[in-house]
Amino acid sequence: MSGESHFIEFSKPFIDAAKNVFETMVFTKLETQKPIIKSDDLSRGDVSAVLGLSGELEKNGSKCHYKAMLVLSFPHETYFKVASAMLGETYTSYVSDIHDLGGEIVNMIMGNAKRDLKTMGYTSNMAIPSMIEGKSHSIKYPAGTQVVLIPFNSTHGPIYMELCYLEAD
Amino acid sequence: MALKADIKILVVDDMSTMRKIIKNMLSQIGFTNISEADDGATAWPMIEGAIKEGKPYEFIVSDWNMPQLSGLDLLKNVRSTPGLEKLPFLMITAEAEQGNVVIAVKAGVSNFIVKPFSAAVLKEKIDRIFK
Repeated sequence: MSGESHFIEFSKPFIDAAKNVFETMVFTKLETQKPIIKSDDLSRGDVSAVLGLSGELEKNGSKCHYKAMLVLSFPHETYFKVASAMLGETYTSYVSDIHDLGGEIVNMIMGNAKRDLKTMGYTSNMAIPSMIEGKSHSIKYPAGTQVVLIPFNSTHGPIYMELCYLEAD
Repeated sequence: MALKADIKILVVDDMSTMRKIIKNMLSQIGFTNISEADDGATAWPMIEGAIKEGKPYEFIVSDWNMPQLSGLDLLKNVRSTPGLEKLPFLMITAEAEQGNVVIAVKAGVSNFIVKPFSAAVLKEKIDRIFK
């Protein structure tokens, strides 16, 4: 199987789900920018929500295991505006009230993407999302995975989605 | 709003931001008497306590995935309690899989809503439950 070609089809449900989640609950449209292969482990934003997943891909009679990770990274300004839009209050600092918001957003994206992934032959088990906050924090990707960075523009500012994916027999 | 504004509602979700979003939406729809619990395990004694006080909850809005007692197990507790067999129970989930709907319907859920959702969709689901 070609892990690289599956990575492209694997990414699409996450992009579609992110657009749906932001339009419905954050009241903003995401404009997808050109994806790039990431060669470092530094976050592009100041607040990152990280969600690991694993499962099996069954396609054309063959089966393999995969592991993947979804990261959604926001500059502070964007995160505060997203939180303000979703929660109906104005936030200007990273307070405990908005700590788990990023985790909830990646949960919703993953939950939505899961339905489309299933029709493509993927089963998926989600881990519990975790949050990282701080300027230029690093993200620990699963060993051996390639990371694709998908930037989005929104009325609240830039948002960065990262996906990594690895197939194993 | 055809329903009483002060209908006693319990919102159950382990994520504080989601509880806030749901409460905001319910307030936007016009409801005024909304309590919250951070897990099914926290919600269940509140539901039992409210019955003992003679002021039972009239509507439960619960997330499915919670660490201690899931929304599904909370629903099963509710349905197996005399007097609560028909308590309106709206289940919220992040997972859009059809299998979940079937499981929840079999357990006696009143309606089902998949995240993300708007206040308009929430109102529509509530209207269907109470019509």
